[in-house]
Amino acid sequence: MSEKGHAQSGVRFGMVIDLDKCSGCGACSVACQAENNISFRPDESEKLRSITWMEIYQLTNGKDYPDFRQAFLPRPCMHCDSPHHSPCTFVCPVNATTRDENNGIVTHIYPRCIGCRYCMVACPYHARDFNWWDPSWPKPMESMLSPEVSTRMRGVVEKCTFCHHRMLKARSKAYVDGSDPNKATYTTACADACPTKAITFGNLQDEKSEVAKLSKDPRAFRILAKLQTEPKVYYLSKQDWIKKLSDNALK
Amino acid sequence: MKFGRRAFLQIAAGAVGGSLLSPLPWQLAGDSARWSQNWSWRPSPERGEITKVPSICTMCEGGCGIQARLVNGNRAILVEGNPANPVTEGGICPLGAAGLQFLYAPYRISRPLKQTKGRGNISGFQPITWDEALAELGKKLAIVRGESKAHTVACITSGRQSSMDDLWQQLFSAYGSQNLFKMPTQADGLRSSALLTTGIASPYTFALENATHVLSFGSNLLEGAAAPGRAFAALRQWRQNGNVKLVQVESRCSLTASKADQWLAVEPGAEAAIALSIAHVMIAGNTYDADFVKNNVFGFEDWTDSTGKRRQGFKTLVSSPTYSPEEIAKKAKVDAAAIRALAKDFAAQKNAIAVWNLGHSDLAFNTYDELAFVALNVLKGNIKTGGLVNLTADIPLGALPAVEKDALAENAAQQKRLDLTRDKTAPVPQNGLYGFLDSLAHGSKYPIEVLMVHEANPAYSLMESRLFQAALDKIKMLVSFSSFMDETACLADLVLPNHTALERLDDVKGIPAASFSYYAVSSPILKPLGDTKNTGDAVLALAGKIGGTVASSVPWKTYEEFLKFRVKGLAETQKGAVADKAGIRLTSAEPVKPNFKDGDDLWKKLKAGACWYDAPAEMPSFKTASGKLELACQAIPVAAAADDHMFLPHLFTIKLAGGEQDFPLLLVAHSTGYLTSGYLANPPFMNKLIPDWTLKGNEEFVDVNPQTAQSLGLSQGQSASLRTTQGEATVRVNVTSAARPGVVFLPKGLGHKAYDEYIQNKGTNANSLMEVLLDPVSGMGTVWATRAQLRRV
Amino acid sequence: MDKALIPEGLKRCPLPIFALWVLILVGVVGWGVVAGGAVLLKALNLTGLNDYFGFGAYITADLAIIALGAGAFFSGFLYYGLSRFIPALKELGKIINLAVIVGFVCYTGALAVLLLEIGQPLRGWFGYWHANVHSMLTEVIFCISCYAIVLVIEYVPIVLENRKLNEVKGLRVFGHSLHDVMAIFALTGTFLSFFHQGSLGGVAGVLFARPFAYRTGLFIWPWTFFLFILSAIASGPAFTAIICRMLEKVSNKKLVDRSVYDLIGKIEGILLGGYMVLKIADTAYWAFVLSPRFGLSLFDYYWGPYGIWLLIAEIGICGVLPAVILLSPRGRSSNFLLFGAFLLDIIGVSINRFVMTIQAIAAPVMPFDKWQIYVPTMYEVAPIVAMLAYCVLIISLSYRYLPLFPREKELNRA
Repeated sequence: MSEKGHAQSGVRFGMVIDLDKCSGCGACSVACQAENNISFRPDESEKLRSITWMEIYQLTNGKDYPDFRQAFLPRPCMHCDSPHHSPCTFVCPVNATTRDENNGIVTHIYPRCIGCRYCMVACPYHARDFNWWDPSWPKPMESMLSPEVSTRMRGVVEKCTFCHHRMLKARSKAYVDGSDPNKATYTTACADACPTKAITFGNLQDEKSEVAKLSKDPRAFRILAKLQTEPKVYYLSKQDWIKKLSDNALK
Repeated sequence: MKFGRRAFLQIAAGAVGGSLLSPLPWQLAGDSARWSQNWSWRPSPERGEITKVPSICTMCEGGCGIQARLVNGNRAILVEGNPANPVTEGGICPLGAAGLQFLYAPYRISRPLKQTKGRGNISGFQPITWDEALAELGKKLAIVRGESKAHTVACITSGRQSSMDDLWQQLFSAYGSQNLFKMPTQADGLRSSALLTTGIASPYTFALENATHVLSFGSNLLEGAAAPGRAFAALRQWRQNGNVKLVQVESRCSLTASKADQWLAVEPGAEAAIALSIAHVMIAGNTYDADFVKNNVFGFEDWTDSTGKRRQGFKTLVSSPTYSPEEIAKKAKVDAAAIRALAKDFAAQKNAIAVWNLGHSDLAFNTYDELAFVALNVLKGNIKTGGLVNLTADIPLGALPAVEKDALAENAAQQKRLDLTRDKTAPVPQNGLYGFLDSLAHGSKYPIEVLMVHEANPAYSLMESRLFQAALDKIKMLVSFSSFMDETACLADLVLPNHTALERLDDVKGIPAASFSYYAVSSPILKPLGDTKNTGDAVLALAGKIGGTVASSVPWKTYEEFLKFRVKGLAETQKGAVADKAGIRLTSAEPVKPNFKDGDDLWKKLKAGACWYDAPAEMPSFKTASGKLELACQAIPVAAAADDHMFLPHLFTIKLAGGEQDFPLLLVAHSTGYLTSGYLANPPFMNKLIPDWTLKGNEEFVDVNPQTAQSLGLSQGQSASLRTTQGEATVRVNVTSAARPGVVFLPKGLGHKAYDEYIQNKGTNANSLMEVLLDPVSGMGTVWATRAQLRRV
Repeated sequence: MDKALIPEGLKRCPLPIFALWVLILVGVVGWGVVAGGAVLLKALNLTGLNDYFGFGAYITADLAIIALGAGAFFSGFLYYGLSRFIPALKELGKIINLAVIVGFVCYTGALAVLLLEIGQPLRGWFGYWHANVHSMLTEVIFCISCYAIVLVIEYVPIVLENRKLNEVKGLRVFGHSLHDVMAIFALTGTFLSFFHQGSLGGVAGVLFARPFAYRTGLFIWPWTFFLFILSAIASGPAFTAIICRMLEKVSNKKLVDRSVYDLIGKIEGILLGGYMVLKIADTAYWAFVLSPRFGLSLFDYYWGPYGIWLLIAEIGICGVLPAVILLSPRGRSSNFLLFGAFLLDIIGVSINRFVMTIQAIAAPVMPFDKWQIYVPTMYEVAPIVAMLAYCVLIISLSYRYLPLFPREKELNRA
């Protein structure tokens, strides 16, 4: 135990998203959907019921034409590192969502989830989505489901797992190769896909890692830092108006 | 007390305690827990060995390196970027990442179909075999040709650059028809302006990677550039280096405008005016590259035409007060000081480039607009070997054998391309697709017996949709090679489905507007799922059916053999090299050392997903009348030029139909990053990206400025009737300061009538509302805006 | 048969009228059962819930009904526990049966609705099997289900008092045995109840990333934990009293002495007054100390339909006002003021439950979030209305066929 209130393992996976590089194209979100077998429906315009682990938020500076500006902010799960518990893991009555203290990843066990949605209520980032319907794929598209990620059933909550299955794969590979599985690193599907390389993923506690360096960049900020949720997703921007949208106190 | 309180409590406690001590309840609970975790009817994907297959994406013109992940070698589960590709270095766009949704699309056509009822009646499609389908079309083509009507066969093929273009060209030459068209792309404008100024019909290229100051005229680099992979890579590099300034001149606060370091908001159609005014300031301040202009440029100073008449040069024209920032500012509704500042900045930067036509605002500019942008690059001395602007170099692929023309072909070739048969034709004709359709729609010189459509969906994606509809009425037989039941395939009389992009062997000839040479072979990631045929093979088979000189002009048995032949030719030149790793500077002027032995070696490497590249080529010698770079374009015949400035870049707007009284607003259709508007329909994955202020349920929104909305009595989300000179649609209003007052913006890519419930009947097809204007110089269709009105309903 | 079941010496309305009444109620319950069945079958997309509003009408109704059902445990606590020390509380014995029944219907009804609320009802019991001890909801699941069992046990002997059932010897003995241990159950129930009323408050209060709901507190319990207990006991008995009054009005009989209402009024007045003092202190601390720490001000929490009127209604009109009325002997002496105050009291607590669930999540947290409005669908309204109809049905049946009010015969002798 440390002052953080939970065991520290030397591995804390995190992400830095450079909003100055982000073009809002949505490749991260699409790659995430393909990688994680995210279901889709004929009407996806009901945004509050659309399952999107990597959601693209539109930010605007609120000014009139031609001083108006917009930017897009991709929002994965923040995998909050707040002491003892993340906001969501604290409230789950059935331990369906927990934080792996070996690496800081907040996971969700779908078959255990009772669908009470308390975790969704607890999350200020709206990172969690509920399966309002029985997921279904039009006939031939079932073929493109990945065997590495289980499909979800109706009535359970799901969210970004930092491509947890890729971490398990990296650990197995390290084990087979005879290296230390705890030092195994990997990248997420969104970071891989990003065509402007705006997303950097890695171990925040490894001083030498790119992600750790970027997280200490002067342009770096986190969303709702004042709530002390300790999100492990950092954003970079040199635009003041974007930074100001990160926290209510700056509004 | 026989059964008192004590006994009752004892028995109750005993029963509870006893059963809790036994393993039974725990076992039962555990079992029920497992049982209640089941949900057996959710799909459980088949497991197996996961492998990666590299390939090249051919879903747009970008030619990005991709790799697919397969389970057991037969089930594709993911398309991701190929980290070894030197352009994208592993990045991918949303369309590429959703690529499998086309492979596994429910609306795929899995075997040849023949329409047995009326055109457009879906229930009339009857499956036929490939033998039947090819025999039917082959017979038809042979008959038409036998009747000396070869010129009445036409084809519209994809805007993408591939060896299929050459195969179609070879086929049509041998067959005897000139009516072979490509779908319009932004390359058309870059090609036509290059032809006028350099005498060479190769599109201009932009070395974005070497620039430090990019002045973009309406190029939507970030919302679906012609080659998104390269555009994104450029943005990445600019932001990484931190010393590149991007200036966007555009009427809408697009994402590119937002992300640019500076955005100059102008009236739609006024972009070129800004360019000319910048030229005015540079010339007045003598801040242009005078040496370059003096030595290499014709028409900067006043000149004498071939008839001996003295003509005004660019300098005289642009130096007139009409082009002063103060005057132009009034027209473009900007601040004159802003134009001066822009000009000062542009002139001061050593590596400043003016770019246009890099986004899907593809048809926005007319010839004179484009010439204005060329002029800015001329003033910067950019258009030269090693400069920021160059011409697209030919990929030295194996040359096709000379076409043997029999009498039928010779005779038919006498018949001009249909768009050139009209009374008033363009003096320097280029992509004539719109002219072709226009001729058909308005009484053509000869009819069209067969129209073949390959990798295109003109019924949906051509602007002024009713033009294609009207033309189609005059076409006797429509043949679609589409893989999907798209709007055009629905109207076809015969469908010969192609493999989808990920199932077929294909190639990519260059990245649009890239200064370096690029060639890649796209190999299938898995076996075709249905009974489809590579259109390359279908074309070869058709040539065989027609027989004679047509067959002998295409001597390859399979499309693979054809591509191998082409790659062999490339290998024999011993130019360029194979790039199989990231980090190669493709725009470096250093000569590239070949790293392949022979055709087989190069083929093997390309098939494995690597790409061939070559350093930017030398600027070829200009083929203009003056032998110089012409700002006064002598390719424009003197007879066609009513005035001196008709040779020069100048303020020129093609007048829109409709009066300001009836149609007080301008409608501009624009591309977005989250909607694909070309041959492919938006895939379900990308539908999740569409914001609910663009599409809600089946209703699409138009962007309207708060001020405009207020004056029309419209508020956020309200329904309105959008009427243009071309059509009418019911839309909802998104009130946003991203929109310019007085202009209505409508995203492209919705309003499909075909496909499946995931995309069908959602929103409005922007193309159906837009007006196509034929350019007076190139004859190409341009669409910069359409007059419109918006009313509450 | 109907006559034989009615407690001896008591007058009840004619069977056809009662039958019609029951029929209407059964109809309403049936409507809710059909709607609930549809939700179970076709999943929660039928509701107005979404990813923004994870909690909605179901939870709000449950929280409110459970708070109001608190009359059962608290009356029991006062009657079985405290009356030894304060003899005046013995008066509550005259209404204790009704309190138990109200508690029973509220809790069982709430459990039924709770089953609809969760996405995987078959896994509802995982709260026991995979319990997360940190979760307030685990406490809630434990305590509510345990307490519902307790209430069943408390209800059974009342049922067994029925004339016909009482004739069966085994049942009579069983009933009497239960009666004898009732104090134990009542006190167990009290303990469970205090705990889960608190936990329900904790559910909102522990949401440390939701500034609207989050409260600091004592050890592991946020202040809402205590405020929920206090507000539940400050409104539960009032709810019982109102139901009793409604029974009197409908049956046109006197069922309890006026002194019982007066006593409940006095108790509720004291509790509500105390609750208001603490609630106002809590609100002030939340608005002026806690929220600014998160960069928010009180006005960030109120918008559109979720306006500041909710705060005024909850604390002013439905909090302080009824407390003042109930604390004044003159207020209590007027039936209009007394029962009016009871009504305001229960409305106020219901608003509190609504605000702490729905408004707490309607308020945006991320600066670029937008306010959302939640509108429940018929599939949520129907089961809730049906639950209320079920409550009325059970109370009606119990009143008709069970001797609930020990003083009824005497009071209506004339």
